[in-house]
Amino acid sequence: MTVASLARQLPPAIRITFLDIGGTAESDLFYGNVTAPSAYAFNLAAGVAEPALTLDSDTAFSWGTRYDHWAGGKRSWTQCFALPFPVVDGVLLHQYLAAVGIDRLEPYLVAAMAAKRGAFAHPPRDPAKAAQHPLSRADYGYQFDPASYARLFETAVADAPGRVVRVADALASVEIDADTISGVRLSDGRVLSADLYVDCSGPAAVLLSHLVPQGEAGRRIGIAASDAPAARPGKPVRTVIPTPYGWRSDVPLRGRTRRVTVYDLADGEAGVAAHGPAPKLVGETTLHRRPHAWAANCVGIGHVAYVLEPLTPAPMMLLERDLERLLSLIPNMGGMAVERAEYNRRCREDTHHAALFARALFATDGLPDTPYWRAALGEPQPDALVRKLEMFESRGLLVAYDLEPFHPEDWTILHLGMGRRPARHDRLADRAQPAQVNAFLTNLERSIAQTVANLPDCDTYRAQLEQYLLRNRR
Amino acid sequence: MPAKPFGDARTRASEITSICIVGGGTAGWMTAAALANKLKGLPVTITLIESAEIGTVGVGEATLPHIRAFNTALGIDEAELMRATEATFKLGIEFCDWGRIGDRYIHPFGDFGPAIDGVPFYHYWLRLRAAGATGRLDDYSFPIVAAENSRFQHPSPNLDRVESTFGYAYQFDASLYAAFLRRYAEKHGVERIEGKVVQTNLDGKTGFVDTVVLADGSAIKADLFVDCSGFRGLLIQGALASGYDDWSNWLPCNRAVAVPTQSRGPLGPFTRATARTAGWQWRIPLQHRVGNGHVYCNSFISDDDAEHQLVDNLDAPMQATPRRLSFTTGRRRDFWKRNVVAIGLAGGFLEPLESTSIHLIQDGITELLALFPDRGFDAPSVSEYNRRMGLHYERVRDFLLLHYVATQRDDTPFWRHFRDLKLPDSLQQKIDAWTTRGYVIPYEFGLFLPPSWVAVMMGQNLMPTGHDPRAHAISDAALTARAAAIRDSVAGAVRATPDHADYIRRMGGAGSLSRAATAA
Repeated sequence: MTVASLARQLPPAIRITFLDIGGTAESDLFYGNVTAPSAYAFNLAAGVAEPALTLDSDTAFSWGTRYDHWAGGKRSWTQCFALPFPVVDGVLLHQYLAAVGIDRLEPYLVAAMAAKRGAFAHPPRDPAKAAQHPLSRADYGYQFDPASYARLFETAVADAPGRVVRVADALASVEIDADTISGVRLSDGRVLSADLYVDCSGPAAVLLSHLVPQGEAGRRIGIAASDAPAARPGKPVRTVIPTPYGWRSDVPLRGRTRRVTVYDLADGEAGVAAHGPAPKLVGETTLHRRPHAWAANCVGIGHVAYVLEPLTPAPMMLLERDLERLLSLIPNMGGMAVERAEYNRRCREDTHHAALFARALFATDGLPDTPYWRAALGEPQPDALVRKLEMFESRGLLVAYDLEPFHPEDWTILHLGMGRRPARHDRLADRAQPAQVNAFLTNLERSIAQTVANLPDCDTYRAQLEQYLLRNRR
Repeated sequence: MPAKPFGDARTRASEITSICIVGGGTAGWMTAAALANKLKGLPVTITLIESAEIGTVGVGEATLPHIRAFNTALGIDEAELMRATEATFKLGIEFCDWGRIGDRYIHPFGDFGPAIDGVPFYHYWLRLRAAGATGRLDDYSFPIVAAENSRFQHPSPNLDRVESTFGYAYQFDASLYAAFLRRYAEKHGVERIEGKVVQTNLDGKTGFVDTVVLADGSAIKADLFVDCSGFRGLLIQGALASGYDDWSNWLPCNRAVAVPTQSRGPLGPFTRATARTAGWQWRIPLQHRVGNGHVYCNSFISDDDAEHQLVDNLDAPMQATPRRLSFTTGRRRDFWKRNVVAIGLAGGFLEPLESTSIHLIQDGITELLALFPDRGFDAPSVSEYNRRMGLHYERVRDFLLLHYVATQRDDTPFWRHFRDLKLPDSLQQKIDAWTTRGYVIPYEFGLFLPPSWVAVMMGQNLMPTGHDPRAHAISDAALTARAAAIRDSVAGAVRATPDHADYIRRMGGAGSLSRAATAA
């Protein structure tokens, strides 16, 4: 993803050398299996258009993640993607729900209902159609396998021959001079040098670790992934369920189902055994964040700088943000102090905000009393999260900070999905008569149900889309 | 954990049933109108106390585009409003003599050209400039070119057209606006009480404001008090001692003198701010007159000299005696304390260099409605309100301070004062990022978006030494052609845009302007 993004967007005068040292298959598992809707635009800018993604990989469309029997031990909800919710007369939708005592958000989320039915179609974005169509309020991401997803970007790079110089070799050593990387020595003795080094080597951080120590270590977790035959029909939603060892997710891809388990290492056996006899990829890591993602002339992307648990789409969201941020701060010649400072500031904020969302998933009870859950639930809640939870539970208010990766509608779905209920609702919702509100909500629910009923199932839609794309492929 | 029932912890007994707004003027009547509109149908009484004895400041005559959303929410018809308030349209602010004496630039409501491949256009302009091109960045901005030519029309709803790439606001008589909103508010049930508050009584147990007492002895009781009493902050400071964070070290201007003049010459759809020896002078063209004023620091110029400087630089005869004001730039430590929320000048003051005064009132009202309390006045809601308002004020402060530090002027002690000023970290970081590579550090919750920062920094000659390298991803020929097409598109669109004054007449917004046309 890094190489493709840089190759596509940087001017030819900036030479790009890709040192392929391999070996990130296990750590790549920690990027999870779901992207946010932001992936569409990111991929396009990196040279990966959706038709290619559809035809040339097993990536599937995704309405989001269903957390099954998660909150309180038995509460399930679909954490779907959505455009901003309707605001009626200055009042947010969930306040109207609270005003009339409705505690289910799902019937009013077209993506969640479509996910439940296993249906999919692209939401209309043409303004003329979108205004009338309930599906236009939905948004979608992708379900992916990191390895085959990466190959899409590799192909994009290959489609621009000569733009990137690829060197496949092992890294022998990193040459440091005055706290700056002066070169990387390969096993064959060659030394590669550059103005800027971009470390994408995963948690091993083969370059950045020479300049920045690992940050405070968090929980250490294991991950295992295997493939099972595709469920029929395939569902455009990832499912996550809590287990004694940690959690398990099933992700329908095209032609197979990717199963992933995340576990405390004390229960590693159980975490791996959950895959049965299927061949599996296994890894482990420490959840952490380095004090700086960019030091001197080296910037660490993704897991080099931080590792988040792939319980939400955050790992991929942040990876995309890292690259967009890097591109917007690609230095000119000279010192990189300003670029470094700003990159590090925003990286810190992005990871902090993403972590709030994940931490909020653990602000519940009724989960197993095992090493994984004790460790996860035992982590302190940052003040920013306490404020968010407090304000929502007090009055349904969404506290937001600058440029958070998760939007207010993501938080609303999360709070209500987990059973958090405002003690009181927005007084302004009382201006509408309950009968009016109920009628509005009933109509909304009905129109969503009708829309979803008319959507094709995901497999049929995919098949028809592929046929169309093949016919029109240039 | 079983799902909690969607109960309502708020009972009838805990609901706010009475609101008292202390102070009229723009802040008071905007608050009254907005609350009356938003709370209609709910059992809440709204009372506003104002005294004809106490003048209002009335310097907030230019606005920002957000005011349109405020008016629309009230159901106010634009043409009717413009007639009633003698309003003109506003496409931006022209700044004269800020970078260097003799310079001028316009800070527009809009961007400079469309982004190319996700990179803001101004980086491409910087690339062209580095290669020796001499064209203005301004020529890529529809609102700037339109303003320079005294043209205006509403933005096109077709987002593909260059005529859609801008916002607009109004320049109006703030006292007429307050009067307009007073009529609105009273029509919607707000009770106006004429009187001067002479005493505030606090509840012995809670410390909340229980009643305010007027000069005639009458006492007004309310659950929620909104302090719109101006600089004095009768309740928030006088009764509750909220405290004030003085920002004079950064923004030292502490006086203003204002005077209206006759209208003369073409009616430009922009405000003008001209830097002076110890401050700056505003010029706001309305239909019936021009509002003028001089904001200055009395440590660097006497009040009399400041008034002379203003009068000597008027472009038309005065219509009244100049009026003097004093203020301290800063913010209330707590905008909301117990059952009192301070809105407008009672909440803080930032000089009207970028027409933010009315906008900060709007912010205060918007956040109050979002966090509308019950009688419990829970601490988290109060804290959240203060957090949000604090951020609004700080970010405006930084933007205003930018004008004073992004300058080459050192011709007077006033301007030299800013040369070695230690800036807030937030602003210093922004300036450093800009000067290095033309990068604008973004935020989400703040009034001034990156194009505004670009306008001021470029306009005041704070040119970056580098630009985004991605701007070199397209060829010279492609960029030259694209840039020319954008310039031509802007120029052509402006040529087809009607004259500002004619447009006001045509769309039904002419008050005095229609009479002027008839007389002519």
